Amino acid sequence: MNARTITSRFALTSGLLLGMMTQLPTTAQETDRWTPDRTAWGDPNLQGVYTFSTLTPLERPEALGNKATYTAEELAEAELQSIIPATAAETPTAEGSNDDNLRGNEYNAFWASNEKGRLAERTSLIVDPPNGRLPPLTERGQQIYDERVAELATRQVGEEPNIYTLYDTWEDHPVYTRCVARSMPRVQQGYNHGLQVLQTPGYVVIYYESQHDTRVIPLDGRPHIDSSIRQWNGDARGHWEGDTLVVDWQNFTDKQFFMSIPPAIGLRNISLPQGNIRLVERLTKVDENTIDYEVTVHDPTTWTQPWTLIVPWRADDPSYQSPVDLYEFGCHEGNYRMMENSLRGSRVLRETYTEAE
Amino acid sequence: MIGAVSVCLFLMTGTSTAQVSDYQAPRLPGTDNPDLNGVWQVLNTANWDIRPHAAGPSALPDLLGAIGAIPAGLGVVEGNEIPYQPWASDKQRENFEGRLTRPLTREMNETTGDPEAKCYMPGVPRATYLPHPFQIVQTQSQVFIAYEFANAARIIHMDSQPPSPASSWMGWSIGHWEGDTLVVEVTDQTELTWFDRAGNFHSDALRVTERYTPITPNHLQYEALIEDPNVFTRPWTISMPLYRRMEPNAQLLEFKCVEFTELFMYEHLLEPSSD
Repeated sequence: MNARTITSRFALTSGLLLGMMTQLPTTAQETDRWTPDRTAWGDPNLQGVYTFSTLTPLERPEALGNKATYTAEELAEAELQSIIPATAAETPTAEGSNDDNLRGNEYNAFWASNEKGRLAERTSLIVDPPNGRLPPLTERGQQIYDERVAELATRQVGEEPNIYTLYDTWEDHPVYTRCVARSMPRVQQGYNHGLQVLQTPGYVVIYYESQHDTRVIPLDGRPHIDSSIRQWNGDARGHWEGDTLVVDWQNFTDKQFFMSIPPAIGLRNISLPQGNIRLVERLTKVDENTIDYEVTVHDPTTWTQPWTLIVPWRADDPSYQSPVDLYEFGCHEGNYRMMENSLRGSRVLRETYTEAE
Repeated sequence: MIGAVSVCLFLMTGTSTAQVSDYQAPRLPGTDNPDLNGVWQVLNTANWDIRPHAAGPSALPDLLGAIGAIPAGLGVVEGNEIPYQPWASDKQRENFEGRLTRPLTREMNETTGDPEAKCYMPGVPRATYLPHPFQIVQTQSQVFIAYEFANAARIIHMDSQPPSPASSWMGWSIGHWEGDTLVVEVTDQTELTWFDRAGNFHSDALRVTERYTPITPNHLQYEALIEDPNVFTRPWTISMPLYRRMEPNAQLLEFKCVEFTELFMYEHLLEPSSD
């Protein structure tokens, strides 16, 4: 970071604080007027290829208080687009590495497909609570989190700055590294953040490039599958409220990890079991190229109150323009060597450090 | 003239699709195309062996008893024989013998064993006749298929013929309509998928031409022309009906099988002797 950048960042921060005093109309109010076209059978048409990659951090920097959006003046600051990623680094985006040794060497901006050239006016993805930050964990939630952090510590050897996380079995790897599943909902992925929305009478289908996961969402009012059937990607039921698709999403398995590769010490990360979580998604097309993807998280056993985030799904990103841009995600099919190297490497490291003691 | 066409079709397609259907499927709203949407599944034993085969014991009768034993099947290959080149017949038998070989080395993983046992994406046409349902999602401009097994999926490009960006497990699918038949050309598949648990195989030159034809409100006739000059002496065809899952609440459930194969694939990596 050179002196000029530091100076501009101070200038920008001051600008942001001043901007907090100005009340702006919310994004939702401005865009509610736009109306999507219809499918031949009369449903609002949400179809297209989108990316949910974003530079906006999950949680708002505390200094911004209840300020939900940047002002136009703030956005006009030339350095803004470099400030926002710096803020985003406070939140977990480095999915390829939950290992301290790798931090700082995560997948870099080349893999991201951000809103460069568009106004990223929101200061956080979380819109409720109004401070844009996660609500406090319940006692149980905190206990589970602490247990996971402690469990990870038992698998670490070495001293700063060379702490190594060991994987004594494939089950020590996060489920995403094992190519079993990826966190749902999909928010803040470092790469392969494309998806396609398809519609046919009675269904909305969401196909995620990463892990080639397909969610077929029935709209016919049928009940959820039996609560004894727990799935990595849960069970979804949708209906229309005006032009908004509302999806009730539950029946997750506790094996699934919520919005995270767990556990990541040192990151303000969420690494909690998903079994008790019920999500309500609201998908609203707010302009020709954007779906506002809103998710409210309900789990009174984990958080002291429900909370809500909004991620823009963008159809005008050069990386994701059509179904041709969605590549086959052969994860498990190429994972043998990773597993071989990590398990053997862990064993060698453990032997080395045991002998040293 | 109509009679001549019927005779011609009969000669071209053999016995299993000889009943040329007069059935007219309902149209997908907003299009002139038949509506193929639904959850579909085969009722056959082609995944055990696409050729005619008698019943047989499981690979682990001492552990499983009669569970997992091979059910007999009439076969789905037209003419009953796969026209292997001589070396390829031997290779198929070798595949079958080693079908449950655990991948103790990288090389073994890439050359030996049934990819189904490893939960690898099944490729086309095997994805169609695995004993799991799949869902055809037909929109006004596209067709997409989601498979329950390994949550495999593929996009069928209908409005253009974009070139394949890279070889892949489920291949590159380009579709068009011929009357009420959805025709899909599948190319650029890896050589690592098999046709069935019997070790029937192909190379990366495989070209599959699939035909999905509605024959009643609840059945599609599925046909796949198999071409691979590296392995076979001539093109050959498989065909079978696909049955609509009739449960009013039918839906794909998850079969994310990676976690079911990790012990099979990785257990040896825990033993120091493998270093």
